[in-house]
Amino acid sequence: MKHYLYILFLFFSISINAQPNVTTGISEVDSVFSPKLTGSTFIAKRYNGNQYFNENWKESDILLSNGVMVYGKQLKYNGLLDELIWLNPSNYARFKLDKLSISDFWFKNIQDKPIHFKRINPDQASVHPSYIFVETLTEGRVSLYIQQRISIVGSENIYENGKLYIIDVIEPRPLYYIKLPSNRYVTMIKIRRNSFLKLFPEQKKTIIKLLNKNHLNFNSESNIIKIIDLINKEIFS
Amino acid sequence: MMIFFKKTCFLLVLQFIALGFCNVQAHTTGSEITYLQTDRTTYITGETVFYKLYVLDAKTKKCSAVSKVGYVLIRPANLNPVLKIRIKLDAGLANGSIVLPDTLASGVYQIVAFTSQLKNSNEQHLFHKEIVIANRFDKELNYKLINSDTTENNLSRQSGAAPEITTDKQVYGQREKVKASLGKTNSKATVAVSVYEESPVLLPGQSIVKALNELQPAPIGKQIYDGSLPESSGKILRGRVIDTETGKTIPSAMVFLSCIDSVPNLQYTVTNSNGIFQLLLSDYYNGKELFLTIDDMPEDKHWKIEVEDEFNLSEKWRPALIPNNGNSKEFIVKSQNIVYINKSYQLNTDLNEELIPDQKPILPWFYYCPVQTLLPSDFVPLDDFPEIAVELLPMVRINKHNGKYKVEIINASTYLINDRGPAIFLDGVFIDDVSKIIGLGSERIKKIELVGTERVFGNLVFQGVISITSKSTEIANTIPLSNSLRLKNTRINNSKSFVAVHPDAIQDKTTPYFKQLLYWNPDLKSTGTGSTDFEFYTSDNPGRFIIKAEGITEDGIPFSATSSIQVDNQLNAPTK
Repeated sequence: MKHYLYILFLFFSISINAQPNVTTGISEVDSVFSPKLTGSTFIAKRYNGNQYFNENWKESDILLSNGVMVYGKQLKYNGLLDELIWLNPSNYARFKLDKLSISDFWFKNIQDKPIHFKRINPDQASVHPSYIFVETLTEGRVSLYIQQRISIVGSENIYENGKLYIIDVIEPRPLYYIKLPSNRYVTMIKIRRNSFLKLFPEQKKTIIKLLNKNHLNFNSESNIIKIIDLINKEIFS
Repeated sequence: MMIFFKKTCFLLVLQFIALGFCNVQAHTTGSEITYLQTDRTTYITGETVFYKLYVLDAKTKKCSAVSKVGYVLIRPANLNPVLKIRIKLDAGLANGSIVLPDTLASGVYQIVAFTSQLKNSNEQHLFHKEIVIANRFDKELNYKLINSDTTENNLSRQSGAAPEITTDKQVYGQREKVKASLGKTNSKATVAVSVYEESPVLLPGQSIVKALNELQPAPIGKQIYDGSLPESSGKILRGRVIDTETGKTIPSAMVFLSCIDSVPNLQYTVTNSNGIFQLLLSDYYNGKELFLTIDDMPEDKHWKIEVEDEFNLSEKWRPALIPNNGNSKEFIVKSQNIVYINKSYQLNTDLNEELIPDQKPILPWFYYCPVQTLLPSDFVPLDDFPEIAVELLPMVRINKHNGKYKVEIINASTYLINDRGPAIFLDGVFIDDVSKIIGLGSERIKKIELVGTERVFGNLVFQGVISITSKSTEIANTIPLSNSLRLKNTRINNSKSFVAVHPDAIQDKTTPYFKQLLYWNPDLKSTGTGSTDFEFYTSDNPGRFIIKAEGITEDGIPFSATSSIQVDNQLNAPTK
């Protein structure tokens, strides 16, 4: 047992000491020259309800629109404003990042795998692009995204410190975006079987067969993801 | 108990040995060596030096993945460099060309090749080789040569395990195709092959095998630990901020960098405890003029920025020179005549424009948000910027206090004025002095862009942004303050590749076709499974031509092979 411990200690020492100096240099290069995030000061307004997708700050990676990755930033996604909020650790100030500077971002440590958001322009026919952040559920020739939208559903009066305030009541109102092989986006509040099949008139029969064969229905989000993955694999591969 | 003690001692000794080995590994890996292969060693001004640069790991001799930038300079004896070139390395390799200007004097020149990591470590470990350049108008040719016993005969460079170069014949006629073959290499290899007329000019030189075996790995750069980083992502601009009165370096000073563009751009860094700053220059800054300034310098201080010259070597090259013995004059005169003929007949078709791959540069834009745009030409002409602010920019306030102007923006959300003023850009450049925009009236301003909300850029927060685009790039005419610096960023060597011209491509058969360099291929791929064929054509220039191949296998084994052919002007029977 002692020998095993010695050998284990030996390997541990070697592995720690064998880190080449250059690797340290390169990672230092990355940290020293990491690109700068751009945005504006964010002042949070008070609502009745949670305006964020993630209530706590989460460590995240960002892919900037110029192709550069930025790692380990504390972020929150504000579903009400459809904006990404950054907590700057140097001054603990909150900043709303420029939407156009961000291509993708990944929240880590929320689920067992990173949650991937990306910026899309669902209204591609419009002259003026209207970009939104959506969570990526599955991607292929047919892709499924969800906009973690939070909407104002009403307002209420509250009495605090002898003063009357009117605050908005907010609730999650997610919106699904299906990207078709023609690169067109279709928006759905809830994905139902009939409306989904209407998106694929030519493949409708094949899809029905696939659904029946695999005993899949549209009752849950995970099932819809499975259906789209299956369509990508069997029909649009 | 004794057995246990012995075993413990044995394991501890074993561990110390292992740790020692690891330390050697850690210190050696990352140290680089360079080797530069040129197509020839004798040139006439106006000709092109074709080169291949190898940057290798000093221990493994495999291509280095650390440095992405290589530097090459050409310098005459006892004088400053006459040519400086920055090269983009791709997995430790690069090839390209350098055109020798007609203004160079005849003489021996030294080519020095290095990376920043090597230069920061020890200049003695930089690669150097000597070449002779003769001015094409020099009739006297009284240049001096190096007094050295280490000159090598061209054909003495066949190395031990080197593949052989074979040709289909030994003697060729003019304008005849030569089929050559490089023998099997031990494994996959990248090879540079040149075929050139043998020069009687003797110079000290080493083959890649000897050079790499003799080059001692430079110790890991001391400066890396002092904060100097390897150029693993691109060129790094290094400098320091010093107090001009005390001569001391200033730690924690903020240095801004921007350049002329249609979009406001900014990069910033902070000096370390030694007052040194480093800025990564992406391809965006390639060949551009850089504007550096120290931000928030106390009014009573006199600081300035000093930038490291990446090509500066501490010592000049001082070889022992002797007058040339006249043996090479005939060859040089012949070379001059060939260059003269080719210039006269415009036969420089060996060069093929090779564009640098169009990579998307990383743009250091200051903002990506909607802006309020104002075109002064749409309004009544106004004399200066304060007048424009009063009449057209209600959110902008300009005050004058003690002869100094101050620009403020009223926050569009809070309607308050912040202490930290707005970021002001003129033609994309962050300006160090507000007075540079005060005199600009409607006639000189093309466009004003305004962001009225507080802006964040990294850790910096500004009250807003005012970006002025002038009609005739006014920023170029401004004089930098004492705490600012303007400098030109060297352009990455836009190399041209060699193209062997087919003699039949010359329509007029009476046109002379004289070549001293018949072939140059810096990237001949050897698969390691068999011989590698290549072919070229002889020209009207008779003589003995050297076929020289140098390369390195993927296992890090250098090799060099040399052969020769004779081109005879009596055998004028070209093979079609």
